[in-house]
Amino acid sequence: MFQKVLIANRGEIALRVARACRELGVRSVAVYSTADAESAVVRFADEAVHIGPAPTGRSYLNVPSIIGAALKTGADAIHPGYGFLSEDPYFAEICAEHGITFIGPPPEVMERVGNKATARELMQKAGLPLLPGTVEPVRSADEAQHIADDIGYPVIIKAAAGGGGRGMSVVYRREDLVRSYQTTRATAQAVFKDSAVYIERYLQMARHVEVQLMCDQYGHGIYFGERDCSVQRRHQKLIEEAPSIHLDTNGHKAIGEAAVNGALSIGYTNAGTMEFLLDEQGNFYFMEMNARIQVEHPVTEAITGVDLIQQMLLVAAGEPFSFTQADIVPRGHAIECRINAEDPDNNFAPAAGRLDTFVVPGGPWTRVDSHCFAGWMVSPFYDSLIAKLIVWAPDRERAINRMQRALSEFQVAGHGVRTTIPFHQRVMAQPDFRRGDVFTDFVERHMFQNAAA
Amino acid sequence: MTKDAVDTTSPPDQELVRLMWQEARDLIKRLEGTTVRRLSVQAGEYKVEIELGGYVEAAPASYSGPVAMGDRGEPARVAAVADTRVPIVAPLVGTFFGAPQPGARPFVEVGDMVEPGQTVAIVEAMKIMNQVASEHRGRVAEIAVKDGEWVEFQQPLVYLEPQEGGA
Repeated sequence: MFQKVLIANRGEIALRVARACRELGVRSVAVYSTADAESAVVRFADEAVHIGPAPTGRSYLNVPSIIGAALKTGADAIHPGYGFLSEDPYFAEICAEHGITFIGPPPEVMERVGNKATARELMQKAGLPLLPGTVEPVRSADEAQHIADDIGYPVIIKAAAGGGGRGMSVVYRREDLVRSYQTTRATAQAVFKDSAVYIERYLQMARHVEVQLMCDQYGHGIYFGERDCSVQRRHQKLIEEAPSIHLDTNGHKAIGEAAVNGALSIGYTNAGTMEFLLDEQGNFYFMEMNARIQVEHPVTEAITGVDLIQQMLLVAAGEPFSFTQADIVPRGHAIECRINAEDPDNNFAPAAGRLDTFVVPGGPWTRVDSHCFAGWMVSPFYDSLIAKLIVWAPDRERAINRMQRALSEFQVAGHGVRTTIPFHQRVMAQPDFRRGDVFTDFVERHMFQNAAA
Repeated sequence: MTKDAVDTTSPPDQELVRLMWQEARDLIKRLEGTTVRRLSVQAGEYKVEIELGGYVEAAPASYSGPVAMGDRGEPARVAAVADTRVPIVAPLVGTFFGAPQPGARPFVEVGDMVEPGQTVAIVEAMKIMNQVASEHRGRVAEIAVKDGEWVEFQQPLVYLEPQEGGA
């Protein structure tokens, strides 16, 4: 096992990783920007290194400073968290060059799954079902038109290098195709420095279901059940649940095995997520793979009892799995609400500021992952996530009731600060949500008229 | 990030982008020792912007290119020193060197006069030597770090006793 792990991240995930290190008896090193000098992880970690000013380009994305901090402190591994450098194969490569273990998949594998078009091609070869569409980038507007006509409308145009819900457009009518193709390419070039796009059928009544998996360095892969992340706004996840209630016993097994086989076929190691779309008939289609730990991992931890972050460290240190697929028996139902410093009644506009009040809920099977505290300044420089509230219960209905109770305890206040807590309360009370009648268009379809009322 | 400095809104002409980068790099070289805060290159409308600021510092190393980015925006956070000394701080995390190469004469020694823009040290990060320049005129009062020691962002490296006529 490692002696010392540097955490190349901030916010709740940095604290989450530091906690896992502490429980494993591994020393932790926090890195921080000037804006985060007083942060919770700086206080909690065994050591902390100031790596740059508030703007992320010179701090959390500043590779020389982060590598320097690891060498300075003698860290033998780096956990990248999510976002920032977590899916940057060049960073993973640079870590290796400096004799530091990057806690994640090998750089070359990361690079291939990071390109959505390449990932589609690889997973098609591995036998995973795909929606009709291209597996290679579309080269011209003419070609795009032909492909879309073949597939049938609506189609979705996606940036090959896209991520985080950006660089996608849905086209409902043939006459809009060329213009959408051009604007998506331009956006992809501007945002991701890569104008390549591909096209696939757009499922209107679909659920976003993803499989948490992990592979050790000896060719063993294990799936940890699925998560349903259909409550999204503009492709940004807001609420996640585990497991999916729309798969039966055979379905759980089929999607899990497909995901693990796909990952093993490309030499994947460590934690990853395969995202699928699930249609109303229970068919699933591979969408993309995320080569990192995800924000919503705690719902999987809640139903499986496995500490995924600790497991990532063990796998990266070369430990084989100490359990088998048969030992992973999901129990009950878990829900996570992302509490963001955003105003749900004002188009989710960022509403950061200093927190005067920050009182988190407690009680049975209630978990709060947060780096915030009363007096903490929620900086406009960074992601608006201030807390993840996770509850578990024996079944979905009781999990929703527990979430309502927990949300009612959560108190966040400060000048200019708004949170998504009222939004989550409305969702938990919404009849379609309570029935589980949720598709990826849920927020647009049901929540905005409520928000305006 | 340096990668973000190239912003092409129309389909990129690779040759044009390459030429502009070359131009920009030459410009940066000629501006060495001055106060480049930000460089922006746009291929679509043939634009190169170089922002000069009042802060003298070496271009912070970046693994994708030798271009100064971002701005400091905040005063140096410095351990309280109950005197009038002014610290020159590290621009990034790296290894401190007081001389251009091992065995060479140090850039500055205690008692030396330093002019604005003068290099006083190097901070090495991933084999890139980042020169650290003074923004003040003053006499070197203390060299706070030993050769080969690791330093953090904004850690004081050299203290100056400010002199009349300083910047």
